[in-house]
Amino acid sequence: MQNLSAVGNSISVRSPQRDRPRAVTISEKTPLEAEMEQAEREISAGPTDEELLLAVGVSQDRQAFNTLFQRFSKKIFAMGMKLTRNEQLAHDLVQEALMTVWTKAPLYDLDRGTAQSWIFTLTRNRCFDMLRKKKRQPQTISSDDIWPQEGDAEMSFVHEEQGSQAVEIAQIERFYTELPVAQQAVIEQIYIFDRTHEEAAAELEIPLGTLKSRLRLGVAKLRVLIGVEE
Amino acid sequence: MTSANHHPSDEVLSDFAQGKLSTGMSVALSAHIELCQSCRQRSSELESREIVAWLQADQMQPSASPDFSGMLDLITSQPQMTGEAVVEPDREPAPLVSEIHMLDHSITLPRVLAKAASNGLVWHKLAGGINQAQVQIDNETQCEFLYMTPGSQVPVHRHQGNEITLVLDGGFEDEFGHYGPSDFVVRDRRDQHQPSTEEGCLCFAVLDSPLTFTSGLARLFNPINNYRFRRATSQRY
Repeated sequence: MQNLSAVGNSISVRSPQRDRPRAVTISEKTPLEAEMEQAEREISAGPTDEELLLAVGVSQDRQAFNTLFQRFSKKIFAMGMKLTRNEQLAHDLVQEALMTVWTKAPLYDLDRGTAQSWIFTLTRNRCFDMLRKKKRQPQTISSDDIWPQEGDAEMSFVHEEQGSQAVEIAQIERFYTELPVAQQAVIEQIYIFDRTHEEAAAELEIPLGTLKSRLRLGVAKLRVLIGVEE
Repeated sequence: MTSANHHPSDEVLSDFAQGKLSTGMSVALSAHIELCQSCRQRSSELESREIVAWLQADQMQPSASPDFSGMLDLITSQPQMTGEAVVEPDREPAPLVSEIHMLDHSITLPRVLAKAASNGLVWHKLAGGINQAQVQIDNETQCEFLYMTPGSQVPVHRHQGNEITLVLDGGFEDEFGHYGPSDFVVRDRRDQHQPSTEEGCLCFAVLDSPLTFTSGLARLFNPINNYRFRRATSQRY
C-alpha cells in the first residue's frame, strides 16, 4: 500500500472522472474530440480496464484486481482452450496470465496501448511459452523475441524503409499541431524530450494521473488522425 | 533496403497474431514483419481485430464456468515488479550477434533471427553450391539458414508440407518468379519447383515436413532428407 497517499488520488478507481474533464477543457473542442469524449463517457459506466490496471500497478489495489479478474478470467480460459484444446492447460493459463497481470501491472502505462490489448498479448505470449515448455522445445527463442514490445522494437528495427518513415514523421508533426495545447505539451515532454512520466508531470506541474490521461487522449487522437486506428 | 514484393497472406498474419503457428513459422513471420513495414502495419490491424473478437467471444460461450476460486488470493500474495527497475533495461536493445559474414560483405539479421543464430551457425555444404546451417527452434519444423553461391541450383523438388523462405540478401528465381530481399515465399505440396540463383542468395527457410526431390539422381537423396528432418526434430520421437 505504499505511495497510496502520494499518487493514489490521481488514479483512484472510485473517482474515474477526476482527471478527465481537465484534459479536454483546456482548449476548444474539435468535433472529433467531442466525439471521442462522448464515446469514452459511454464506455466508462464503471471504472475502465485501464483505470483498474493502473490502480493495481500503482497502489496494489486488490479490489481493482478482483474486478479485472472477473472481467478477464473467462476470456483467458477461452483463449487457452482455443490454443491448447486442453482444459488443464487452459486453467493453468488463467493463473499464469493473471499472475503476470498482477506482477507486471506496475510496468503498464497508457502509452503501451489499451489494457485489453496489453492483457491479450501477455496472455498469448504466456500461452505460447507454456506450449513450448510442454513440447520440450529448445529455449533459444521465447515469445518476447517473436513479438517484441513496442518500445524495444522501434529501437531495433535496423531495416526501416527511410523514405516512408520520413513521410510519417512529417504527417505526425502536422497532426500534432491539431491537438489541444495541453496534450501537445505532454506529448512533447514524453516523446520529444524523452522524459519519464514522473519528470514530465513535475515539469508541467500537473498530477501524474492528469499527465497520463492527457497523454492517452493525445496519442489516441494522433493515431486516429494518422489513420492507424479507426 | 528495397521493400518486399511477396508477403504472407492475411490468414497467416492473423494466425501469427493469435499465437497459433509453430515457433519456427512464427520466427519467419516475426523476421519478415521486422523487414516489411506494410506487413507490420497489416499485422497490427489484424491483431486489433483479433482482440476485438476475443473480447466479444465469451458472451457466446456455453455456460461452462470453470472454478478459479483460490487463484485470486494466491496471485495477490505475490510481490509485484517495480516499475523503475524493469522499465529501463527493457528499452535497451539486447546485445546480440546480429550479423552474418558472407564472402565479401556482412548482413545484418532481423532481431529474432539474430537470437536464433546466437548459439553459432555451423555451415554444411550440400550438393549444387548450397550451404546450410540448421538452427534448433522447435520440434515441429526444420529451420535453417541457406546460402546459395552465385550460379547454384537446387534440384527440382516438391514439398510434403509448407516451406517458407525469407530472402535476407541477394535473390533467387524459380518457375513462379524472382525473389529479392525481404520477400516471404510460401510453397506448399502442390508446388514443384527448382530454385536457382545468379547473384547468390542468403535466406532463412522453415519447413514443416521434409522435401521430396522429384527428378533423376536427386531421388537418391530422399532417404537422407527424411533422415535430416527426423534428426532436426528428433526430440519429438
